[in-house]
Amino acid sequence: MQLAMTLKRVARSEVLWRIAAAVLGGYAFCWGLIALSVAGLYALGLEFHDAETLGSILAFLAYLAVFLWAFCAATLRPVWLVLAGGGAALAALASLIQHFLLA
Amino acid sequence: MFKNFRLAMAWLHTWFGLVLGFVLMAVFFFGSLSVFDREIDRWAIPASRFEPQPMPSFDKVLRPVFESMQPQQESLDYLKPRVNGPLPERFDTVRAWGAYTTHRDPVLGIYANYEVPNVKDHDDVAYATRTIDPRSGASLPDDRLKIGSRFFYPLHYSLNFHWMDLGYWIVGMAAMVMLIALVSGVVMHRKIFREFFTFRPKKATQRSALDLHNMTGVLALPFHFFFAFTGLVIFAGIYFPVTHTQLNPLHELHEKLEAQETGLPHDRAGVAAPLASVDAMVAEAQRRWAAKGMAGEVGYLGLTHVGDSNGYVSVYRAGTDRIALTGQGIHFKASTGAVIREEPAPTAVARVGEFLTGLHLQHFRHWMLRWLYVFGGLMGCVCIATGFIFFVEKRKKQHAKQGSQGSRAVDALAVTTVTGMLIAAAGMLIANRLLPDALPSGWPPRGDLEQYLFWAGWALAMLHAFARGGVVAQGGINPAWREQCYAVAAMAVAAVGLNWATTGDHLLKTVGEHYWPVAGVDLFLLAGAALAVLAARMVSARAMRAADAAAASPLQGTADITDMAASAAQKKEAAHA
Repeated sequence: MQLAMTLKRVARSEVLWRIAAAVLGGYAFCWGLIALSVAGLYALGLEFHDAETLGSILAFLAYLAVFLWAFCAATLRPVWLVLAGGGAALAALASLIQHFLLA
Repeated sequence: MFKNFRLAMAWLHTWFGLVLGFVLMAVFFFGSLSVFDREIDRWAIPASRFEPQPMPSFDKVLRPVFESMQPQQESLDYLKPRVNGPLPERFDTVRAWGAYTTHRDPVLGIYANYEVPNVKDHDDVAYATRTIDPRSGASLPDDRLKIGSRFFYPLHYSLNFHWMDLGYWIVGMAAMVMLIALVSGVVMHRKIFREFFTFRPKKATQRSALDLHNMTGVLALPFHFFFAFTGLVIFAGIYFPVTHTQLNPLHELHEKLEAQETGLPHDRAGVAAPLASVDAMVAEAQRRWAAKGMAGEVGYLGLTHVGDSNGYVSVYRAGTDRIALTGQGIHFKASTGAVIREEPAPTAVARVGEFLTGLHLQHFRHWMLRWLYVFGGLMGCVCIATGFIFFVEKRKKQHAKQGSQGSRAVDALAVTTVTGMLIAAAGMLIANRLLPDALPSGWPPRGDLEQYLFWAGWALAMLHAFARGGVVAQGGINPAWREQCYAVAAMAVAAVGLNWATTGDHLLKTVGEHYWPVAGVDLFLLAGAALAVLAARMVSARAMRAADAAAASPLQGTADITDMAASAAQKKEAAHA
């Protein structure tokens, strides 16, 4: 009985972590994706709002994909690494490109 | 955490679908109504029941109206803490005037934005809006609520919950969950093609609810996916404000370069200048469209930096015959009327964007597609509602044995979001017809009262659903379903009757005169009433059958009967396969 309850508690916290990874990690990743699309495509000569439109279309499809991935991945570590870490890296790269474009 | 991919998808579908399904229900239903938002406006504001009008003359009609406008109180209240020092008595520096119309608008909505001296954030403006009769320029009373385009429509994407834009975020999350539910739903049911044609209405509620859930979900799958997805794209700027935060410097750089390239000044020059005839500019724009083989009406007319030598006038063609809302913009120098810029054809990416958002917002003329949108949206409602019913039916016997209140609560929330929502909407229409034209002093504005009554009606329906839900905890059917269906039917008929009594526009008259905006709303209400009565009778019949079955097999109990029916259905399915 006690074992079952412990298991249940573990499962509940695991569910919460999955939800956080999918919702927040997914958001961070898509933010980075949009930022890099806008800065990168603009730097490559695409019109600013075109880059923005394209970035957001891609980002919502990506959100859907990574959200599902966060729920079916065997472990959460790679999910957090790609979503939060990758999102931060994409956003940082976007800021770097912006820095050079404004210079 | 999950044994396999399909189980993970089933978990996602069930729990995310349940929690955000309640939001999605409102989004789908009020989205469906928004397809005919302007027609609902006509029903709610009898003074506006006349034929759609083209954009009126600026020089004769619009200019005097614009010049008489001043920011409204709520705008000033918002600005008060956002300026250094007091707000001025009068606002004379106009940043922009604008008017937008479509082939379905008899009255014209216009707005004005004013520069605010000593404002902390340069993007903040004082604003004013007004609705006028374009034939005379006369203003409509500003306490009249356009129930379709100013209440049901924004409810569809913001829940009319504007604190910290939270309503937008909840709806955005719900739209994301809709996409997730569609994908996970397809993964859960591998026999998609067969489910397309499977509906067993005479089976146990659990089975027929699932059949209907699968059928409406699969049949309208592309529709649901498209609308949830494009809805997100439309508000991408709210959900991911990247270019107004992290990349704002780049955005500003782009705006400055764009102003240089297009010749449309980004800021005022600070030198006063007169305004040439805008009607002549509109005529020139229409001449240029006709020369390109696309003669058309004006959809959007805007003036920027009014009264300044940097001022310009923008004329956009109405997208009545194409998917983009407006297009083919031509910009004129306000002081001379000379053409500054004729917008080039949109780029490939812009066309994709216009296609996605334009097809969702649907301001073009295509009545058949408009009705298909309504049916698609209502099919989404059926899909979500049957999802709730399946959830409850699958668990309620088990919960009854365990003494859990889980399925009772879900069922009551389902009643609230299905029939309760209809009661709220019908109640609002009734209030709209019953409230006197002039309210006693000290009362809230008429439109505000209508909104309060809408929410009050919904809250009452929720109380009723929870109060009557006790039977669900014993494995039965909540009588609130039946009772609220009858309430919906009575209220819908009452709304039609009140429209007749207060305006004289009964159905024989409106149909005879082919005045479809009002006739359509009335007919839709009556059809809804008929469906509600039908639904109430079916719920009664089912409740009686369930009671008979329980009485016939007191030893086994109804739980096993439902299970047997379900397993028999599965066996049959297996035999067919």
